[in-house]
Amino acid sequence: MDNKVAIVGFNMASALDLETTRERLSFDLTRGLFDDLGIERDDVGTFIICTNDFLDGRTISNVFLDPSVGAYMKDESKVEMDGLNALTYACMRILSGQYETALVATLALTGTQVSPYLHIGYTLDASYDRPIKLLNELSAAALEARSYLAKYGYSEELLDDIALQDLANAARNPNQARRLEGVSKDQIAGSAYLYEPLRELHCYPATDGGCMMLLASEKRAKELCDKPVWIKGIGRSTDNYYLGDRDLSGSISASQAAERAMGMAGIKDPRKELDFAEISSLFAHQEPLLAEAMGLLEPGKAAEAYKSGDTAIDGKLPINPSGGPLGGHPICSSGLMRAAEAVLQLRGEAGKNQVEKADVALAHGQDGVCAQQSVVVVLGT
Amino acid sequence: MEDIKETFYHTVAPLDFGYNYRVGTYLQRYIDALKDKKILGAKCPQCGKVVVPPRKYCGACNKVREEYVELSQEGTLENYTVGHITLEKGQVNQAESPYIVGMIKLGGADNLLVGKVAGVSPQEVKTGMRLKAVWKDQTEGEYSDLDHFEPV
Repeated sequence: MDNKVAIVGFNMASALDLETTRERLSFDLTRGLFDDLGIERDDVGTFIICTNDFLDGRTISNVFLDPSVGAYMKDESKVEMDGLNALTYACMRILSGQYETALVATLALTGTQVSPYLHIGYTLDASYDRPIKLLNELSAAALEARSYLAKYGYSEELLDDIALQDLANAARNPNQARRLEGVSKDQIAGSAYLYEPLRELHCYPATDGGCMMLLASEKRAKELCDKPVWIKGIGRSTDNYYLGDRDLSGSISASQAAERAMGMAGIKDPRKELDFAEISSLFAHQEPLLAEAMGLLEPGKAAEAYKSGDTAIDGKLPINPSGGPLGGHPICSSGLMRAAEAVLQLRGEAGKNQVEKADVALAHGQDGVCAQQSVVVVLGT
Repeated sequence: MEDIKETFYHTVAPLDFGYNYRVGTYLQRYIDALKDKKILGAKCPQCGKVVVPPRKYCGACNKVREEYVELSQEGTLENYTVGHITLEKGQVNQAESPYIVGMIKLGGADNLLVGKVAGVSPQEVKTGMRLKAVWKDQTEGEYSDLDHFEPV
C-alpha cells in the first residue's frame, strides 16, 4: 500500500463470563484505550462498530453503543462480520484521506448472553439445511476435521497435539478467557466427543469479550505512539456457501485471502518472511488446515510440525503463540484479537508468550460456516 | 478499570418469531420429485456440473442452471461424523444414542448431499461405503420422504 496506516493502540478483555453488560464493557474498553493514548473522543475521526444484531438480540444494535464508545453525534457506521473486516473498513476510511484516525469497536457476550452456536446455525440455508436438521456449526466443523485428517492419513491424535499447544499457550496468556493451568494431552484426549473426531477441548469455548483498536494515518500515528504497527497488506475471499459443493479438506478462502494480502505486502515466501501467525482456528484441525492454505505449513507435514515444535512459541514459524481462539472466541472480536495479539508480539510486549523474532506477522479472521470467508492482514514494524 | 463484582438482574428477551421462506421453483421441483421417490439435481450449461439439491444459479459461472437431471439413488459415503450431541436453538444436549451424519456423492452428481446414515453402526461406518436411499413407505412430498441412506 502506498499510504501507510498504523495500529496505534488497542484494549481488549475476554472471559467465559465477564460479569458485565454490553454498554459497560464497551465503555470500559474504549475509555481505557483513550486514557492509555492520552486522547479524548474528539480525537477520533470515525467510529466503526462491529457487533451482530442477531447475537445482541436487537436490530441496529450499534446505536445503543454510540454513547459508551464515544461515538455520540460522530461519524459512525457498522460492520456485522468478523472484526478484521471492520479493520479493513477502518483502514479504507483513513486511506480515503477523509479521516486521520478510526476506532474499531468490537464485542459480543457469547459466553453469557446468548449461545455462540446460533450465529453459524442461522447462516445455514433456511430452505434446505435448517429443515433437514443435520448440519450445525459443530457437525460441519467435524466433517471438515475428518476430511482434513483423511487427506493426509493423520490420526485423531494430531488434534490433541494441536489443542495442547494452543491451550498451553492460552494458559500463559492473561488476555485469554480459557486458561487451563497444567493442561495435558490426556485431559484433551479424554474430553467428551461432540461430533467425531472433535472433542470438547478441540473446540473454542463460549466466550464474552471485546476488543477496541485505534488506527491512524502515518503522520498521526507517529504523534500518538512510539511503536506504531503498520498494516502492510489486506486480502479477503469468500468460498462457496454450500458445504456439499466445497472441498472441506482445504480452504480456498484462506489461500486466496493470504495470496492477496501477501501480494499487497510484497511477501513472496511466507515461510521465510513471516515471523509468526495468529490464525482464527475455532477448532483444532483448522489451525494446520488454514496455515497450509496460507502457505505457512508445508502440505502434509502438519503432524511432524506439531510433534517437532516447529509451530510452538520457540519454533521455526510460531502459530497462535497467544493460544488462538481455543483460548477464547468472542464472535466479531475474535479476528481483531488476533491482530491485537500480533501487535503485542511486534512491540515485544507479549510477556511469557513472546516469540524471539517479531518483525512481520500475519493475522487471519473468519466468518461463516467452516471459514467460508477469510480475511488476512499482514502487519509489520 | 474498576473491578466491581455485581450480581446482575437478568432479564430474558426472547426473539420468537417465524419467517416464511419460499423455497423457490428449483427446490419445489426437488420436493415434488421426492414424492415420486426420485432425486433431482440441476446442471449448469457452462461448466456442466450437477448439484443436488438443485439450485438455480451457478456461482462459478454466474449462469442459470437450466436442466434438471434425475440422479442415481446409490452413492458413495465421502465424509461423515458421528454425533454424540444435538444442537437445537444453540443448546447442546446429549444425544440419546450416537448417530451418523453423512456426505454422500450420488451417481450423476458433482457435489455431496448431506443425509442421515443408518443401518450401519457408528463403529463400522467408513468413508467409501456404497449407500442407497431409503424412502418412507408413504411419501408426502416433503424433505423427510427421503428418510435416510443405508449400505447397499
